[in-house]
Amino acid sequence: MSWRNELLAVWAVTLRNALMGARNVFFFFELLFWPIVGVLSIGLMSRFLGLTEAQASFVLVGTIALSVVNVCQLEVAYAVLLDVWSKSLKHQFLAPIGIRHLTLGSWIVGMVRSLCVFLLLAVLGWWAFGFRVLQPGWVALGAFLLGCFLTAWVVGVAVCALITLFGNRAEAFAWASVNMVLVLAGIYYPISVLPDPIAAIARAVPLTYFLDAYRAHYGFESEFRAPIATGLALSALYAALAHWAFLSAIQRARRTGLLLKMSE
Amino acid sequence: MLAIDAHDVEKTFRSGWPRRRETAALRGVSLTVERGAIVGVLGPNGAGKTTLLSILATLLTPDRGRVSVLGHDVVRDATALRRRLNMVSGRPSFLWSLRVGEIVAFYGRLYGLHGQVLRRRVDMLIELCELVPYRRVPYSDLSTGLKQRVALAKALVNEPELLFLDEPTLGLDPDVAVRVREHVARLRREQGITIVLTTHYMREADELCDEIAFIKAGKILARGTSGELKRQIRLGEVIALKLDPPRVPWLAESPGVLRCVETDGWVECTVDEAEKRLPELLRALFTEGVVIRNVQVREPELEEVFVELAK
Repeated sequence: MSWRNELLAVWAVTLRNALMGARNVFFFFELLFWPIVGVLSIGLMSRFLGLTEAQASFVLVGTIALSVVNVCQLEVAYAVLLDVWSKSLKHQFLAPIGIRHLTLGSWIVGMVRSLCVFLLLAVLGWWAFGFRVLQPGWVALGAFLLGCFLTAWVVGVAVCALITLFGNRAEAFAWASVNMVLVLAGIYYPISVLPDPIAAIARAVPLTYFLDAYRAHYGFESEFRAPIATGLALSALYAALAHWAFLSAIQRARRTGLLLKMSE
Repeated sequence: MLAIDAHDVEKTFRSGWPRRRETAALRGVSLTVERGAIVGVLGPNGAGKTTLLSILATLLTPDRGRVSVLGHDVVRDATALRRRLNMVSGRPSFLWSLRVGEIVAFYGRLYGLHGQVLRRRVDMLIELCELVPYRRVPYSDLSTGLKQRVALAKALVNEPELLFLDEPTLGLDPDVAVRVREHVARLRREQGITIVLTTHYMREADELCDEIAFIKAGKILARGTSGELKRQIRLGEVIALKLDPPRVPWLAESPGVLRCVETDGWVECTVDEAEKRLPELLRALFTEGVVIRNVQVREPELEEVFVELAK
Protein backbone atom coordinates (compact mmCIF):
# COMPACT_ATOMS: atom_id res chain seq x y z
CA MET A 1 0.00 0.00 0.00
CA SER A 2 1.40 3.41 -0.95
CA TRP A 3 1.83 6.23 1.54
CA ARG A 4 -0.91 8.17 -0.23
CA ASN A 5 -3.34 5.28 0.19
CA GLU A 6 -2.29 4.92 3.83
CA LEU A 7 -3.03 8.59 4.47
CA LEU A 8 -6.29 8.41 2.52
CA ALA A 9 -7.54 5.50 4.62
CA VAL A 10 -6.65 7.37 7.82
CA TRP A 11 -8.34 10.50 6.45
CA ALA A 12 -11.46 8.48 5.54
CA VAL A 13 -11.83 7.33 9.15
CA THR A 14 -11.05 10.82 10.49
CA LEU A 15 -13.71 12.39 8.29
CA ARG A 16 -16.26 9.70 9.10
CA ASN A 17 -15.81 10.04 12.87
CA ALA A 18 -15.87 13.83 12.65
CA LEU A 19 -19.13 13.78 10.67
CA MET A 20 -20.72 11.30 13.04
CA GLY A 21 -19.60 13.35 16.02
CA ALA A 22 -21.01 16.55 14.58
CA ARG A 23 -24.43 14.95 14.11
CA ASN A 24 -24.90 13.18 17.43
CA VAL A 25 -26.55 15.11 20.22
CA PHE A 26 -25.03 12.82 22.87
CA PHE A 27 -21.57 13.90 21.79
CA PHE A 28 -22.46 17.37 23.06
CA PHE A 29 -22.76 15.96 26.57
CA GLU A 30 -19.44 14.19 26.25
CA LEU A 31 -17.77 17.32 24.99
CA LEU A 32 -19.27 19.99 27.22
CA PHE A 33 -21.62 18.90 29.94
CA TRP A 34 -19.64 16.32 31.94
CA PRO A 35 -16.25 18.09 31.69
CA ILE A 36 -17.74 21.38 32.90
CA VAL A 37 -19.62 19.64 35.72
CA GLY A 38 -16.36 17.92 36.72
CA VAL A 39 -14.22 21.07 36.91
CA LEU A 40 -16.92 23.12 38.67
CA SER A 41 -17.65 20.47 41.30
CA ILE A 42 -13.99 19.69 42.04
CA GLY A 43 -13.04 23.40 42.04
CA LEU A 44 -15.89 24.27 44.40
CA MET A 45 -15.07 21.34 46.65
CA SER A 46 -11.43 22.48 46.87
CA ARG A 47 -12.67 25.97 47.85
CA PHE A 48 -14.99 24.51 50.51
CA LEU A 49 -12.15 22.41 51.94
CA GLY A 50 -9.91 25.46 52.00
CA LEU A 51 -7.13 23.93 49.89
CA THR A 52 -4.08 26.02 49.09
CA GLU A 53 -3.65 27.33 45.55
CA ALA A 54 -1.11 24.57 44.80
CA GLN A 55 -3.34 21.83 46.22
CA ALA A 56 -6.32 23.13 44.25
CA SER A 57 -4.16 23.12 41.12
CA PHE A 58 -3.14 19.52 41.88
CA VAL A 59 -6.74 18.25 41.87
CA LEU A 60 -7.79 20.47 38.95
CA VAL A 61 -4.97 19.01 36.84
CA GLY A 62 -6.46 15.61 37.63
CA THR A 63 -9.99 16.70 36.71
CA ILE A 64 -8.86 18.16 33.41
CA ALA A 65 -6.80 15.04 32.64
CA LEU A 66 -9.87 12.91 33.34
CA SER A 67 -11.98 14.81 30.81
CA VAL A 68 -9.25 14.98 28.16
CA VAL A 69 -8.43 11.27 28.41
CA ASN A 70 -12.09 10.27 28.59
CA VAL A 71 -13.18 12.20 25.50
CA CYS A 72 -10.18 11.11 23.44
CA GLN A 73 -10.42 7.46 24.52
CA LEU A 74 -14.12 7.26 23.66
CA GLU A 75 -13.44 8.63 20.19
CA VAL A 76 -10.80 5.93 19.62
CA ALA A 77 -13.29 3.29 20.80
CA TYR A 78 -15.80 4.72 18.30
CA ALA A 79 -13.53 3.30 15.57
CA VAL A 80 -15.32 0.02 16.26
CA LEU A 81 -18.33 1.05 18.34
CA LEU A 82 -19.95 3.16 15.61
CA ASP A 83 -19.92 0.18 13.27
CA VAL A 84 -21.06 -2.22 15.98
CA TRP A 85 -24.03 0.01 16.82
CA SER A 86 -24.99 0.48 13.18
CA LYS A 87 -24.21 -3.17 12.37
CA SER A 88 -21.92 -2.24 9.51
CA LEU A 89 -18.75 -3.83 10.84
CA LYS A 90 -18.42 -6.34 8.03
CA HIS A 91 -18.45 -3.65 5.35
CA GLN A 92 -15.57 -1.94 7.11
CA PHE A 93 -13.50 -5.10 7.28
CA LEU A 94 -14.41 -6.14 3.74
CA ALA A 95 -12.51 -3.06 2.56
CA PRO A 96 -8.70 -3.04 2.50
CA ILE A 97 -8.47 -1.21 5.83
CA GLY A 98 -5.92 -1.93 8.53
CA ILE A 99 -6.36 -1.38 12.23
CA ARG A 100 -3.70 1.35 12.06
CA HIS A 101 -6.03 3.38 9.82
CA LEU A 102 -8.92 2.93 12.21
CA THR A 103 -7.03 3.76 15.37
CA LEU A 104 -5.04 6.65 13.91
CA GLY A 105 -8.02 8.20 12.13
CA SER A 106 -10.22 8.09 15.21
CA TRP A 107 -7.33 9.20 17.45
CA ILE A 108 -6.90 12.36 15.37
CA VAL A 109 -10.57 13.25 15.89
CA GLY A 110 -10.22 12.33 19.57
CA MET A 111 -7.23 14.66 19.98
CA VAL A 112 -9.05 17.56 18.31
CA ARG A 113 -12.15 17.03 20.44
CA SER A 114 -10.25 16.62 23.68
CA LEU A 115 -8.12 19.66 22.85
CA CYS A 116 -11.37 21.64 22.57
CA VAL A 117 -12.42 20.24 25.96
CA PHE A 118 -9.03 21.15 27.41
CA LEU A 119 -9.22 24.75 26.16
CA LEU A 120 -12.72 25.13 27.54
CA LEU A 121 -11.75 23.72 30.93
CA ALA A 122 -8.55 25.77 31.03
CA VAL A 123 -10.54 28.97 30.52
CA LEU A 124 -13.18 27.88 33.03
CA GLY A 125 -10.52 26.90 35.60
CA TRP A 126 -8.77 30.25 35.22
CA TRP A 127 -12.02 32.28 35.33
CA ALA A 128 -13.66 30.44 38.24
CA PHE A 129 -10.69 29.35 40.34
CA GLY A 130 -7.64 31.26 39.10
CA PHE A 131 -6.02 28.04 37.87
CA ARG A 132 -3.35 28.67 35.18
CA VAL A 133 -2.63 25.76 32.87
CA LEU A 134 0.29 27.61 31.28
CA GLN A 135 2.11 28.19 34.54
CA PRO A 136 4.45 25.23 33.83
CA GLY A 137 5.17 26.56 30.33
CA TRP A 138 4.32 25.44 26.80
CA VAL A 139 6.70 22.47 26.71
CA ALA A 140 5.44 20.99 29.98
CA LEU A 141 1.84 21.55 28.91
CA GLY A 142 2.54 19.92 25.52
CA ALA A 143 4.12 16.89 27.21
CA PHE A 144 1.16 16.60 29.59
CA LEU A 145 -1.38 16.73 26.77
CA LEU A 146 0.64 14.26 24.71
CA GLY A 147 0.65 11.92 27.69
CA CYS A 148 -3.13 12.22 28.02
CA PHE A 149 -3.61 11.57 24.29
CA LEU A 150 -1.28 8.57 24.29
CA THR A 151 -2.98 7.06 27.34
CA ALA A 152 -6.36 7.59 25.68
CA TRP A 153 -5.09 5.94 22.49
CA VAL A 154 -3.84 2.87 24.33
CA VAL A 155 -7.03 2.47 26.38
CA GLY A 156 -9.23 3.13 23.32
CA VAL A 157 -7.45 0.52 21.20
CA ALA A 158 -7.66 -1.97 24.08
CA VAL A 159 -11.42 -1.31 24.28
CA CYS A 160 -11.69 -1.91 20.51
CA ALA A 161 -9.90 -5.23 21.01
CA LEU A 162 -12.27 -6.24 23.81
CA ILE A 163 -15.37 -5.34 21.80
CA THR A 164 -14.08 -7.27 18.81
CA LEU A 165 -13.29 -10.19 21.09
CA PHE A 166 -16.50 -10.33 23.14
CA GLY A 167 -19.02 -8.38 21.05
CA ASN A 168 -21.58 -5.94 22.42
CA ARG A 169 -21.18 -7.40 25.92
CA ALA A 170 -17.83 -5.63 26.20
CA GLU A 171 -19.33 -2.22 25.47
CA ALA A 172 -19.30 -1.35 29.17
CA PHE A 173 -15.49 -1.43 28.99
CA ALA A 174 -15.64 1.58 26.70
CA TRP A 175 -17.21 3.63 29.45
CA ALA A 176 -15.59 2.08 32.52
CA SER A 177 -12.03 1.08 31.68
CA VAL A 178 -10.60 4.58 31.47
CA ASN A 179 -11.81 5.40 34.98
CA MET A 180 -9.88 2.46 36.37
CA VAL A 181 -6.74 3.72 34.61
CA LEU A 182 -7.29 7.22 35.97
CA VAL A 183 -7.79 5.95 39.53
CA LEU A 184 -4.52 4.03 39.27
CA ALA A 185 -2.67 6.97 37.74
CA GLY A 186 -3.33 9.10 40.82
CA ILE A 187 -5.88 11.46 39.43
CA TYR A 188 -6.55 13.41 42.66
CA TYR A 189 -3.59 12.20 44.75
CA PRO A 190 0.07 11.22 44.44
CA ILE A 191 0.46 7.46 43.99
CA SER A 192 2.56 7.32 47.16
CA VAL A 193 -0.75 7.31 49.09
CA LEU A 194 -1.81 4.08 47.41
CA PRO A 195 -1.20 0.69 49.13
CA ASP A 196 2.10 -0.81 47.95
CA PRO A 197 0.73 -3.49 45.54
CA ILE A 198 -1.61 -0.93 43.94
CA ALA A 199 1.18 1.66 43.74
CA ALA A 200 3.29 -0.92 41.89
CA ILE A 201 0.50 -1.27 39.31
CA ALA A 202 0.17 2.52 39.16
CA ARG A 203 3.84 2.75 38.22
CA ALA A 204 3.03 0.70 35.12
CA VAL A 205 0.48 3.29 33.92
CA PRO A 206 1.97 5.90 31.55
CA LEU A 207 -0.37 8.69 32.67
CA THR A 208 1.06 8.43 36.21
CA TYR A 209 4.35 9.83 34.88
CA PHE A 210 2.83 12.60 32.77
CA LEU A 211 0.67 13.79 35.69
CA ASP A 212 3.69 13.68 37.97
CA ALA A 213 5.83 15.70 35.55
CA TYR A 214 3.18 18.37 35.03
CA ARG A 215 2.31 18.70 38.71
CA ALA A 216 5.99 19.14 39.54
CA HIS A 217 5.68 22.63 38.04
CA TYR A 218 3.00 23.50 40.62
CA GLY A 219 5.39 22.85 43.53
CA PHE A 220 4.96 19.11 44.08
CA GLU A 221 8.21 17.19 44.09
CA SER A 222 8.44 14.62 41.32
CA GLU A 223 8.31 10.99 42.48
CA PHE A 224 10.20 9.74 39.42
CA ARG A 225 13.60 10.47 37.90
CA ALA A 226 12.68 10.82 34.19
CA PRO A 227 8.90 10.83 34.15
CA ILE A 228 8.33 12.03 30.55
CA ALA A 229 10.77 9.54 29.02
CA THR A 230 9.34 6.71 31.15
CA GLY A 231 5.79 7.70 30.25
CA LEU A 232 6.63 7.80 26.54
CA ALA A 233 8.41 4.44 26.66
CA LEU A 234 5.50 2.80 28.48
CA SER A 235 3.01 4.39 26.06
CA ALA A 236 4.92 3.03 23.07
CA LEU A 237 5.03 -0.44 24.62
CA TYR A 238 1.32 -0.46 25.47
CA ALA A 239 0.32 1.01 22.11
CA ALA A 240 2.14 -1.85 20.38
CA LEU A 241 0.54 -4.41 22.71
CA ALA A 242 -2.94 -2.92 22.31
CA HIS A 243 -2.62 -2.96 18.51
CA TRP A 244 -1.42 -6.55 18.58
CA ALA A 245 -4.41 -7.44 20.79
CA PHE A 246 -6.81 -5.64 18.42
CA LEU A 247 -5.34 -7.39 15.38
CA SER A 248 -5.56 -10.76 17.11
CA ALA A 249 -9.16 -10.05 18.12
CA ILE A 250 -10.11 -9.27 14.51
CA GLN A 251 -8.41 -12.43 13.27
CA ARG A 252 -10.30 -14.39 15.91
CA ALA A 253 -13.59 -12.69 14.97
CA ARG A 254 -12.99 -13.76 11.35
CA ARG A 255 -12.38 -17.30 12.60
CA THR A 256 -15.35 -17.56 14.97
CA GLY A 257 -17.83 -15.65 12.84
CA LEU A 258 -18.30 -12.89 15.42
CA LEU A 259 -17.49 -10.33 12.73
CA LEU A 260 -20.60 -11.44 10.86
CA LYS A 261 -22.72 -11.74 14.01
CA MET A 262 -21.96 -8.11 14.83
CA SER A 263 -23.09 -7.05 11.35
CA GLU A 264 -26.57 -6.90 9.90
CA MET B 1 -9.82 -18.69 -16.40
CA LEU B 2 -11.16 -19.21 -12.91
CA ALA B 3 -12.32 -16.41 -10.64
CA ILE B 4 -12.99 -18.81 -7.78
CA ASP B 5 -11.31 -22.12 -7.11
CA ALA B 6 -12.36 -23.63 -3.78
CA HIS B 7 -11.62 -27.20 -2.71
CA ASP B 8 -12.95 -29.19 0.25
CA VAL B 9 -13.81 -26.12 2.31
CA GLU B 10 -14.90 -26.88 5.85
CA LYS B 11 -16.19 -24.51 8.51
CA THR B 12 -17.57 -25.31 11.93
CA PHE B 13 -18.92 -22.71 14.34
CA ARG B 14 -18.50 -23.24 18.05
CA SER B 15 -20.68 -21.50 20.62
CA GLY B 16 -21.91 -21.76 24.19
CA TRP B 17 -20.15 -21.93 27.51
CA PRO B 18 -19.35 -24.04 29.50
CA ARG B 19 -20.97 -26.65 27.21
CA ARG B 20 -19.68 -26.06 23.68
CA ARG B 21 -22.06 -26.52 20.78
CA GLU B 22 -20.63 -27.22 17.35
CA THR B 23 -22.43 -26.44 14.12
CA ALA B 24 -20.87 -27.69 10.91
CA ALA B 25 -21.72 -24.96 8.39
CA LEU B 26 -19.66 -26.27 5.47
CA ARG B 27 -18.62 -29.92 5.03
CA GLY B 28 -16.17 -30.18 2.19
CA VAL B 29 -17.56 -27.70 -0.32
CA SER B 30 -15.80 -27.41 -3.67
CA LEU B 31 -16.76 -24.70 -6.12
CA THR B 32 -15.22 -23.26 -9.25
CA VAL B 33 -16.48 -20.14 -11.02
CA GLU B 34 -15.29 -18.95 -14.41
CA ARG B 35 -14.41 -15.28 -14.83
CA GLY B 36 -17.33 -13.25 -16.12
CA ALA B 37 -19.95 -15.81 -15.04
CA ILE B 38 -22.95 -15.33 -12.79
CA VAL B 39 -23.28 -18.27 -10.45
CA GLY B 40 -26.15 -18.73 -8.04
CA VAL B 41 -25.80 -20.50 -4.73
CA LEU B 42 -29.22 -21.74 -3.63
CA GLY B 43 -30.30 -23.64 -0.60
CA PRO B 44 -32.65 -23.65 2.38
CA ASN B 45 -32.04 -21.51 5.49
CA GLY B 46 -28.93 -22.60 7.37
CA ALA B 47 -27.58 -24.50 4.36
CA GLY B 48 -24.26 -22.63 4.45
CA LYS B 49 -24.76 -20.12 1.61
CA THR B 50 -23.74 -17.02 3.57
CA THR B 51 -20.87 -18.87 5.24
CA LEU B 52 -19.52 -19.88 1.84
CA LEU B 53 -19.82 -16.35 0.47
CA SER B 54 -18.23 -14.88 3.58
CA ILE B 55 -15.22 -17.19 3.24
CA LEU B 56 -14.84 -16.29 -0.43
CA ALA B 57 -15.07 -12.60 0.50
CA THR B 58 -12.42 -12.93 3.26
CA LEU B 59 -14.86 -12.12 6.07
CA LEU B 60 -14.47 -15.60 7.52
CA THR B 61 -11.49 -17.91 7.53
CA PRO B 62 -12.04 -21.56 6.58
CA ASP B 63 -11.11 -24.34 9.03
CA ARG B 64 -9.87 -26.57 6.23
CA GLY B 65 -9.59 -26.57 2.47
CA ARG B 66 -7.93 -24.45 -0.18
CA VAL B 67 -9.61 -21.30 -1.46
CA SER B 68 -8.20 -19.18 -4.24
CA VAL B 69 -10.14 -16.10 -5.39
CA LEU B 70 -8.91 -14.07 -8.38
CA GLY B 71 -5.61 -15.89 -7.96
CA HIS B 72 -5.19 -14.86 -4.29
CA ASP B 73 -5.29 -17.18 -1.31
CA VAL B 74 -8.19 -15.92 0.84
CA VAL B 75 -6.21 -16.21 4.06
CA ARG B 76 -2.65 -15.28 3.08
CA ASP B 77 -3.42 -12.59 0.44
CA ALA B 78 -6.63 -11.27 1.96
CA THR B 79 -5.67 -7.57 1.87
CA ALA B 80 -4.67 -7.63 -1.80
CA LEU B 81 -7.82 -9.56 -2.64
CA ARG B 82 -10.11 -7.12 -0.82
CA ARG B 83 -9.10 -4.37 -3.26
CA ARG B 84 -10.57 -6.43 -6.12
CA LEU B 85 -13.89 -7.65 -4.74
CA ASN B 86 -16.96 -6.30 -3.02
CA MET B 87 -20.23 -7.46 -1.57
CA VAL B 88 -23.90 -6.52 -1.27
CA SER B 89 -26.01 -8.19 1.37
CA GLY B 90 -29.73 -8.31 2.02
CA ARG B 91 -30.90 -5.81 4.64
CA PRO B 92 -27.66 -3.80 4.47
CA SER B 93 -26.64 -1.43 7.22
CA PHE B 94 -24.33 1.57 7.26
CA LEU B 95 -23.59 4.38 9.71
CA TRP B 96 -27.01 5.84 10.35
CA SER B 97 -26.28 9.54 10.32
CA LEU B 98 -23.99 9.60 7.31
CA ARG B 99 -25.61 10.82 4.11
CA VAL B 100 -25.81 8.71 0.96
CA GLY B 101 -22.98 10.58 -0.81
CA GLU B 102 -20.81 10.46 2.31
CA ILE B 103 -21.20 6.69 2.66
CA VAL B 104 -20.11 6.02 -0.92
CA ALA B 105 -17.23 8.52 -0.59
CA PHE B 106 -16.08 6.99 2.72
CA TYR B 107 -15.71 3.55 1.17
CA GLY B 108 -14.18 5.09 -1.96
CA ARG B 109 -11.39 6.63 0.15
CA LEU B 110 -10.73 3.25 1.78
CA TYR B 111 -10.04 1.94 -1.75
CA GLY B 112 -7.58 4.78 -2.42
CA LEU B 113 -9.84 7.14 -4.40
CA HIS B 114 -9.53 10.87 -3.82
CA GLY B 115 -10.05 14.30 -5.38
CA GLN B 116 -11.72 14.53 -8.78
CA VAL B 117 -11.63 10.76 -9.34
CA LEU B 118 -13.52 10.13 -6.11
CA ARG B 119 -16.06 12.87 -6.82
CA ARG B 120 -16.69 11.59 -10.35
CA ARG B 121 -17.03 7.98 -9.16
CA VAL B 122 -19.48 8.94 -6.41
CA ASP B 123 -21.52 11.05 -8.86
CA MET B 124 -21.59 8.25 -11.40
CA LEU B 125 -22.68 5.59 -8.89
CA ILE B 126 -25.32 7.80 -7.35
CA GLU B 127 -26.74 8.37 -10.81
CA LEU B 128 -26.43 4.70 -11.80
CA CYS B 129 -28.27 3.56 -8.67
CA GLU B 130 -30.95 6.27 -9.08
CA LEU B 131 -30.02 7.97 -5.82
CA VAL B 132 -29.61 11.55 -7.08
CA PRO B 133 -32.59 12.97 -5.09
CA TYR B 134 -31.35 11.22 -1.94
CA ARG B 135 -27.70 12.21 -2.07
CA ARG B 136 -27.93 14.40 1.05
CA VAL B 137 -30.41 12.23 2.95
CA PRO B 138 -29.10 10.44 6.09
CA TYR B 139 -29.00 6.67 5.72
CA SER B 140 -31.43 6.15 8.63
CA ASP B 141 -34.13 8.09 6.73
CA LEU B 142 -34.05 5.86 3.64
CA SER B 143 -36.55 3.13 2.75
CA THR B 144 -35.45 -0.51 2.48
CA GLY B 145 -35.23 -0.30 -1.31
CA LEU B 146 -33.13 2.85 -1.22
CA LYS B 147 -30.81 1.34 1.39
CA GLN B 148 -30.30 -1.62 -0.94
CA ARG B 149 -29.38 0.77 -3.74
CA VAL B 150 -26.87 2.52 -1.47
CA ALA B 151 -25.35 -0.90 -0.75
CA LEU B 152 -25.07 -1.55 -4.48
CA ALA B 153 -23.43 1.85 -5.07
CA LYS B 154 -20.96 1.17 -2.24
CA ALA B 155 -20.22 -2.27 -3.65
CA LEU B 156 -19.32 -0.82 -7.05
CA VAL B 157 -17.12 1.99 -5.73
CA ASN B 158 -13.87 0.04 -6.25
CA GLU B 159 -14.93 -1.29 -9.68
CA PRO B 160 -14.75 -4.86 -8.38
CA GLU B 161 -13.79 -7.75 -10.62
CA LEU B 162 -15.81 -10.05 -8.40
CA LEU B 163 -19.08 -9.15 -6.72
CA PHE B 164 -20.86 -11.18 -4.06
CA LEU B 165 -24.58 -10.62 -3.79
CA ASP B 166 -25.99 -12.18 -0.64
CA GLU B 167 -29.77 -12.13 -1.08
CA PRO B 168 -29.67 -8.69 -2.72
CA THR B 169 -33.43 -8.41 -3.23
CA LEU B 170 -34.49 -9.63 0.21
CA GLY B 171 -37.45 -7.61 1.47
CA LEU B 172 -37.64 -5.39 -1.61
CA ASP B 173 -40.83 -4.43 -3.40
CA PRO B 174 -41.22 -6.40 -6.65
CA ASP B 175 -40.59 -3.36 -8.87
CA VAL B 176 -37.40 -2.47 -6.98
CA ALA B 177 -36.27 -6.11 -7.08
CA VAL B 178 -36.75 -6.12 -10.87
CA ARG B 179 -34.56 -2.99 -11.14
CA VAL B 180 -31.84 -4.51 -8.95
CA ARG B 181 -31.86 -7.61 -11.18
CA GLU B 182 -31.58 -5.39 -14.25
CA HIS B 183 -28.57 -3.63 -12.65
CA VAL B 184 -26.91 -6.96 -11.96
CA ALA B 185 -27.47 -8.22 -15.50
CA ARG B 186 -26.12 -4.95 -16.89
CA LEU B 187 -23.00 -5.13 -14.70
CA ARG B 188 -22.06 -8.47 -16.17
CA ARG B 189 -23.01 -7.44 -19.71
CA GLU B 190 -21.20 -4.10 -19.73
CA GLN B 191 -18.32 -4.61 -17.29
CA GLY B 192 -17.80 -8.36 -17.34
CA ILE B 193 -17.90 -8.60 -13.54
CA THR B 194 -17.98 -12.10 -12.10
CA ILE B 195 -20.97 -12.40 -9.79
CA VAL B 196 -21.79 -14.95 -7.13
CA LEU B 197 -25.35 -14.68 -5.93
CA THR B 198 -27.33 -16.28 -3.13
CA THR B 199 -31.07 -15.94 -3.21
CA HIS B 200 -34.28 -17.50 -2.02
CA TYR B 201 -36.08 -16.41 -5.17
CA MET B 202 -35.89 -19.17 -7.77
CA ARG B 203 -37.05 -16.90 -10.55
CA GLU B 204 -34.17 -14.55 -9.78
CA ALA B 205 -31.67 -17.38 -10.03
CA ASP B 206 -33.29 -18.76 -13.18
CA GLU B 207 -33.26 -15.32 -14.79
CA LEU B 208 -29.74 -14.20 -13.84
CA CYS B 209 -27.48 -17.18 -13.36
CA ASP B 210 -25.42 -19.07 -15.91
CA GLU B 211 -25.01 -21.84 -13.40
CA ILE B 212 -26.58 -22.78 -10.10
CA ALA B 213 -25.13 -24.70 -7.19
CA PHE B 214 -27.56 -26.22 -4.69
CA ILE B 215 -26.20 -26.35 -1.18
CA LYS B 216 -27.78 -28.15 1.74
CA ALA B 217 -26.41 -28.93 5.20
CA GLY B 218 -23.00 -27.60 4.18
CA LYS B 219 -22.63 -29.69 1.03
CA ILE B 220 -23.17 -28.89 -2.62
CA LEU B 221 -25.74 -31.44 -3.78
CA ALA B 222 -26.08 -30.47 -7.42
CA ARG B 223 -24.61 -28.02 -9.86
CA GLY B 224 -25.30 -27.00 -13.44
CA THR B 225 -27.41 -24.74 -15.61
CA SER B 226 -31.06 -24.43 -14.74
CA GLY B 227 -31.96 -26.89 -17.52
CA GLU B 228 -29.25 -29.34 -16.57
CA LEU B 229 -30.42 -29.38 -12.98
CA LYS B 230 -33.98 -30.06 -13.99
CA ARG B 231 -32.83 -33.00 -16.08
CA GLN B 232 -30.22 -34.12 -13.57
CA ILE B 233 -32.68 -34.81 -10.80
CA ARG B 234 -35.22 -36.33 -13.23
CA LEU B 235 -38.21 -34.34 -12.18
CA GLY B 236 -39.85 -35.09 -15.50
CA GLU B 237 -42.09 -32.72 -17.43
CA VAL B 238 -45.48 -31.34 -16.55
CA ILE B 239 -48.65 -31.82 -18.63
CA ALA B 240 -51.31 -29.42 -17.38
CA LEU B 241 -54.88 -30.23 -18.39
CA LYS B 242 -58.16 -28.34 -18.00
CA LEU B 243 -60.87 -31.02 -18.05
CA ASP B 244 -64.61 -31.43 -17.81
CA PRO B 245 -65.35 -33.05 -15.41
CA PRO B 246 -62.39 -31.45 -13.63
CA ARG B 247 -61.44 -34.50 -11.54
CA VAL B 248 -60.25 -37.70 -13.20
CA PRO B 249 -58.91 -39.99 -10.44
CA TRP B 250 -57.48 -42.69 -12.72
CA LEU B 251 -55.06 -40.25 -14.42
CA ALA B 252 -52.49 -40.69 -11.66
CA GLU B 253 -52.48 -44.47 -12.29
CA SER B 254 -51.76 -44.12 -16.03
CA PRO B 255 -48.43 -45.44 -17.39
CA GLY B 256 -45.55 -42.93 -17.20
CA VAL B 257 -47.39 -40.56 -14.87
CA LEU B 258 -45.28 -39.89 -11.78
CA ARG B 259 -47.83 -37.81 -9.87
CA CYS B 260 -50.89 -35.62 -10.40
CA VAL B 261 -51.98 -32.53 -8.49
CA GLU B 262 -55.02 -30.30 -8.88
CA THR B 263 -54.50 -26.53 -8.77
CA ASP B 264 -56.91 -23.77 -9.77
CA GLY B 265 -59.05 -25.99 -11.98
CA TRP B 266 -56.01 -27.54 -13.67
CA VAL B 267 -54.76 -31.08 -13.31
CA GLU B 268 -50.95 -31.07 -13.41
CA CYS B 269 -49.49 -34.46 -14.28
CA THR B 270 -45.75 -34.88 -13.96
CA VAL B 271 -44.70 -37.48 -16.52
CA ASP B 272 -41.40 -39.16 -17.39
CA GLU B 273 -41.51 -38.04 -21.03
CA ALA B 274 -44.16 -35.61 -22.27
CA GLU B 275 -43.68 -36.30 -25.96
CA LYS B 276 -44.52 -39.96 -25.46
CA ARG B 277 -47.17 -39.66 -22.76
CA LEU B 278 -49.26 -36.76 -24.07
CA PRO B 279 -50.89 -38.69 -27.00
CA GLU B 280 -51.55 -41.65 -24.71
CA LEU B 281 -53.24 -39.52 -22.08
CA LEU B 282 -55.32 -37.58 -24.61
CA ARG B 283 -56.45 -40.83 -26.23
CA ALA B 284 -57.44 -42.32 -22.86
CA LEU B 285 -59.34 -39.19 -21.84
CA PHE B 286 -61.15 -39.07 -25.19
CA THR B 287 -62.11 -42.75 -24.87
CA GLU B 288 -63.55 -42.11 -21.37
CA GLY B 289 -65.58 -39.18 -22.69
CA VAL B 290 -63.74 -36.50 -20.75
CA VAL B 291 -63.84 -33.09 -22.43
CA ILE B 292 -60.38 -31.54 -22.84
CA ARG B 293 -60.66 -27.73 -22.66
CA ASN B 294 -56.97 -26.81 -22.55
CA VAL B 295 -53.56 -28.51 -22.59
CA GLN B 296 -50.12 -27.11 -21.70
CA VAL B 297 -46.76 -28.81 -21.54
CA ARG B 298 -43.90 -27.25 -19.58
CA GLU B 299 -40.62 -28.02 -17.87
CA PRO B 300 -40.71 -28.10 -14.07
CA GLU B 301 -39.98 -24.76 -12.38
CA LEU B 302 -36.61 -24.30 -10.69
CA GLU B 303 -38.60 -23.99 -7.49
CA GLU B 304 -39.70 -27.61 -7.88
CA VAL B 305 -36.07 -28.64 -8.32
CA PHE B 306 -35.25 -26.72 -5.14
CA VAL B 307 -38.04 -28.41 -3.20
CA GLU B 308 -36.95 -31.80 -4.45
CA LEU B 309 -33.32 -31.20 -3.50
CA ALA B 310 -34.17 -29.64 -0.17
CA LYS B 311 -36.16 -32.73 0.93
